[in-house]
Amino acid sequence: MDHRPQAWGRPRDDVYGAYDHSYLQSGGPKQMTQSPVVTGTSVIGIKFKDGVILAADNLASYGSLARFTDVKRLRVFLGTSVVGFGGDVSDMQYLDRHLNELAIDESYEGGGAQEEHGEKGKLNAANLHTYLHKLMYRRRNDFDPLWNQVLVAGLDAAGKPHLSSVDLRGTAFTSPSLATGFGAALAQPIMRKYAATEEDAARLTRDQAVKVVQECMKVLYYRDARSLDKYSIAVVTKDGVELKEDEQLEKQSWAFAEQIRGYGTQTV
Amino acid sequence: MPPARAATGSATDRAEQSRAELSAQHRPECSPRFPIRALLSLAPPIDNTKEEGEEKADRGGAQTSIGTGYDLANSIFSPDGRNFQVEYAVKAVENGGTSIGIRCKDGVVLAVEKVVTSKLLKQGANKRIATVDRHLGVVYSGMIPDGRHFIDRARDESRSWRDTFKTPMPTADLASRMGGYMQAYTLYQSVRPFGITAIVGGFDSELEAAKYGGPFLYMIEPSGLYWGYYGAATGKGRQAAKAELEKLDLSGSGTLSLLDAVKEAARIIYVAHDDNKDKEFELEMSWISGADGPTKGLHQEVPKALREEAERLAKKSLEDEDDDDEKKDDDKMQE
Amino acid sequence: MFRNNYDNDSVTFSPQGRIFQVEYAAEAVKQGSVVVGIASKTHAVLVAIKRNAEELSSYQKKLFPIDENVGIAIAGLTSDARVLSNFMKQQCLGHRLTYGRNMPVRSLVDMIGSKAQVNTQHYGKRPYGVGLLVAGVDDQGPHLFEFQPSGMTEEMVAFAIGARSQMARTYLEKNLDAFASCGRDELVQHGLKALKESLVQDRELTVENTSVGIVGVGKAADGSTKVEPFKVYDGQEVNAFIESVADDKEAEAEAAPAGGSGMEVDDE
Repeated sequence: MDHRPQAWGRPRDDVYGAYDHSYLQSGGPKQMTQSPVVTGTSVIGIKFKDGVILAADNLASYGSLARFTDVKRLRVFLGTSVVGFGGDVSDMQYLDRHLNELAIDESYEGGGAQEEHGEKGKLNAANLHTYLHKLMYRRRNDFDPLWNQVLVAGLDAAGKPHLSSVDLRGTAFTSPSLATGFGAALAQPIMRKYAATEEDAARLTRDQAVKVVQECMKVLYYRDARSLDKYSIAVVTKDGVELKEDEQLEKQSWAFAEQIRGYGTQTV
Repeated sequence: MPPARAATGSATDRAEQSRAELSAQHRPECSPRFPIRALLSLAPPIDNTKEEGEEKADRGGAQTSIGTGYDLANSIFSPDGRNFQVEYAVKAVENGGTSIGIRCKDGVVLAVEKVVTSKLLKQGANKRIATVDRHLGVVYSGMIPDGRHFIDRARDESRSWRDTFKTPMPTADLASRMGGYMQAYTLYQSVRPFGITAIVGGFDSELEAAKYGGPFLYMIEPSGLYWGYYGAATGKGRQAAKAELEKLDLSGSGTLSLLDAVKEAARIIYVAHDDNKDKEFELEMSWISGADGPTKGLHQEVPKALREEAERLAKKSLEDEDDDDEKKDDDKMQE
Repeated sequence: MFRNNYDNDSVTFSPQGRIFQVEYAAEAVKQGSVVVGIASKTHAVLVAIKRNAEELSSYQKKLFPIDENVGIAIAGLTSDARVLSNFMKQQCLGHRLTYGRNMPVRSLVDMIGSKAQVNTQHYGKRPYGVGLLVAGVDDQGPHLFEFQPSGMTEEMVAFAIGARSQMARTYLEKNLDAFASCGRDELVQHGLKALKESLVQDRELTVENTSVGIVGVGKAADGSTKVEPFKVYDGQEVNAFIESVADDKEAEAEAAPAGGSGMEVDDE
């Protein structure tokens, strides 16, 4: 028997045959992240008259397992913008720390100037989106993407509502309403009923917009198997960010489930 | 000269002599373009005409250093174990506007006297107290560009701490890292020491580390030496400022509140400026409280309204003192 | 020969705590021809005297655009200025690319300050032999900064550097209170008058030797603020500016002070 220390704890070749080392070697090129691990599902956002609303549920899934049920996926930046993260949660945490450093950079520039100039001169949501766009595109060109799609909500330089998206491929765009993941299929059609154009969005009141978002979160919970009925919602206006991280979906009705055939215990 | 010295027989003189002899034997070519080379030999210039008695008389004063050659490059020990270039850097600090820091029971206050060097400067636009991290602030006296460099480095340190440990940098660790950084600039002939003394204030979160949290204050000198303080002062008016700081109830279970500390800081800067009355100055102040205090654990500039109130009280207290002095003088006259 | 033993390099303190090499570099700034800068609530202007090496040679440029929102005036070693200018251009461009906005002027000036400081602390390096006036506009409005070879940077209301600049500074100090409310042309006129104070006897402002640079905050069509880009005026373009401060014009203005131009007239 082989008594050398490097053989300790290994299956004996004379019993099991030589170990097939090719198992873990692809032999191909070096590979970076191929898929996300712990994930968050949809983030949805809609503009209204005075600002933007963002919402996302508090679930982080491990595959189909509802692994963490109190994950905050909306992060405030400088008290003036909100970033909503869909996709890989560890990449979200990396980005969150990164944005925190960016925010500290901003605090270097004159503590006193703040009193005089308020938020003037600080990075706004449009600047933040440009930055995240460059970051994500760079990472995808390094073939080491951050596996997220994020929504950025806030105001632009002119003080107008700003809502935009950037994903792991570095694709960036803006729209009066936006949704990531399953939300793009389930929530976007609902939001477009109320805010198909910038003009429509500019007519929405805050209360109307909140209602639309609540409705969308409910539909997402009904239809998205990786979702949760606990969610966060952020309202961004010129007065700052109102973030509620412990919202509960209300007035759910599962009556429609009766109509669904092919699952469960039905016999017909 | 060396033989004459040998006669006195002191240890340092012997060392000097042996070095002089050494260098006399192996005196390197002295290139006029790089006169610094000559210093490597540690030799005082052979043709030094300075009288020995003269040198002896003022040993310990600034004159001790001049003409010996030991003060012409950084990282050189003089025979009695001093690095004169570091001492000269301290001189640069002593000419700068006064900076102070106060550590009281619920926070830290930093303040600086900014002498107005030109009427054309934009008022209040040129800040001298810098934020290093959310909870860390630095003020300094001396060469301002050196201070900017110090700040840049401090920000890098605190950022890399966050990257590594995923937690804000404790004030003590920042002081340690920056002390090390300053010290490194005393080690080589290829650099010069920092011409600043920096006061580092911070509030380590009680939420993240209940046992170790609280307000902290450190002062770092050009040599890299640093101590923790309850009240720290540097720059031109440091003597007067120190005298005032010592009167405050800070150490141990000190009772001074953060709000009162702001007012005291303003007053102390005004007192320290008093000897320099003819020059106008601006007062800049910042403060750091705990999470439940006025700055919510952040390093921030003292709000304008509070600063102006503190300045009003400071001026009043100075005037009252003057009145008292006059009264005393009057009393004396009457006697 | 050497003034003393302490002035041969920038890594040696004198017993008084001075660094002579840095002070000598500041002397190089005084060799350059004079430049003046002034900032108001809406504009920042730079004016300069250009010199030619000989009768038949061209005049050395003194004003340089850095980016849409920033320009500099130089006094001292032109080639050192070019190094700083290129660096500033790169930084501004980089900032515009990553954040989609104008570089804040103070950040930019701090960067060249840090760059210059390093040259005063390491053996084998020398301080820059040039001083700059940096005029720019950002979200907080117009700014004017002075940069010195020591790495010192300060924000000024108005300033002058270069040969015989003390006279110009005296003029600026005298008229300090008028600048904030000045319009762009008035600001240039103050600048040129300050420049005149520094001129050698028998010399005067001409279209050949005078440069004017202007940057400001303008109004866009929709009423929002936008940058009036930094523009350098040379040759015939400065004729009108020079005319407006011609000596006979001055006399005229003094004779009829009710002209309603709002222009501050020098009492002398």
